[in-house]
Amino acid sequence: MTPNPLALIAEVTHRCPLHCVYCSNPLQLAGTESELSTEQWTSVFQQSGKLGMLHAHFTGGEPLARQDLTELIAAARAAGLYTNLITSGIGLGEQRLAALVAAGLDHIQISFQDSREGPANWIAGAKAHAHKIELSRVIRRHKVAFTVNLVVHRQNLDHLEEMIAFIEQLNPDRVEIAHTQYYGWALANRAALMPTRAQIEAAVKIVAAAEKRLAGRVRIDSVVPDYYAKYPKACMGGWGRRLMLINPAGKVLPCHAAEVIPGMTFENVREKTLEWIWRESASFCRFRGEDWMPEPCRSCDRRAEDFGGCRCQAFLLAADATVTDPACSLAPTHGIVEAAVREANSDMGAAQARPATSFVQLQQETAELWDYRINPE
Amino acid sequence: MAAPLDSSQPRLAAGCRWGGSDVDRVILFPEGAIKLQGTGRQVLERCDGQRTFGEIITELQKQFGDADPDKIRADITMFLEQLQRKRIVDY
Repeated sequence: MTPNPLALIAEVTHRCPLHCVYCSNPLQLAGTESELSTEQWTSVFQQSGKLGMLHAHFTGGEPLARQDLTELIAAARAAGLYTNLITSGIGLGEQRLAALVAAGLDHIQISFQDSREGPANWIAGAKAHAHKIELSRVIRRHKVAFTVNLVVHRQNLDHLEEMIAFIEQLNPDRVEIAHTQYYGWALANRAALMPTRAQIEAAVKIVAAAEKRLAGRVRIDSVVPDYYAKYPKACMGGWGRRLMLINPAGKVLPCHAAEVIPGMTFENVREKTLEWIWRESASFCRFRGEDWMPEPCRSCDRRAEDFGGCRCQAFLLAADATVTDPACSLAPTHGIVEAAVREANSDMGAAQARPATSFVQLQQETAELWDYRINPE
Repeated sequence: MAAPLDSSQPRLAAGCRWGGSDVDRVILFPEGAIKLQGTGRQVLERCDGQRTFGEIITELQKQFGDADPDKIRADITMFLEQLQRKRIVDY
């Protein structure tokens, strides 16, 4: 029998005040009108608790864009779930934070784009940096776990040490150093974001030194980027093995990007129960286990460790969701990733952060470098 | 971080709490959960921010009367140090 899922990823809205160029949301965003109601989300949390899930990760878009977020957190907590809010912090002041904590918020995770204000706002396409610093101080006055998430890439890795020192003085319990993963907007902007091999090698050393120095004070979790790894990542801990993601419109997905795979139909919580979707739906069963695996995965010793890598990446890079993840050095299609790595290493330059007086001006000035994430209708 | 002192008052760190059912009790924390059984569960249930580390040790030494008290102390110290490094326990 299929084990129970461990965690729910609740993408409560795709609306967001930021325009981060590496956003993991799909290019096709769910519109405001299609969003689930408070009651529908409450039912989702109750079903998740009954299914044995332990964690609910609130993400978006920007979850704070939902006016009923406090109610949603309370509903998840009442269903027995550990609640984590992944946020830019825009729209959050002391009063709303206190209400969220009183409603049962266990953990808050703020993303920073950089340690330097100009570049941070340039990546986010919004003036958000100063508010995040102020908010971090407010968070430490409340009884809630605090994680700082730092997305790293070609444009900021050269001052990783400075960024870690910056985060340290925000006094979080935990830091996530996340190399950009190339889905959604980040894939569209990959050429501007992908680091060089020298940047990766330096980063590994800097992170290891920081882990040692901060042991017992700040926990550091970091993820090595798969384009530079020998073997692929165990994406989501395996398809339909641990996680369920519900998008703003109620569609239930095995991961953030699954909708890109053609020919798949994903169920909606408006029509089916979570338990049925987890256990019986064709979409969750499609790449669960090993029956679907091609060679070289099928006979590989690592197949129970990385599950053949990421199905979405296989489709996005090799146009076939059923082949070994091209990030794997053993994959027949690995040349695609090697070519991207070669390209990233052929030109050493990082771009210059550009100030602008408006988002439209910023879009125009950076049009050749990248596309900013835009809001859904 | 050093080992807890006898006067330390171990407690769950911010954002760490009990969850699961009575049968399957777990400690929930950011991005994870640990299932606790037996001695580990008995130690952590006493980490309430009130009892001192010394009191916790004494209680458990009494409870496990036949085991070597020094070994009980060493095991509990190591257990709490590990959880402190994971930012699950403060003392």
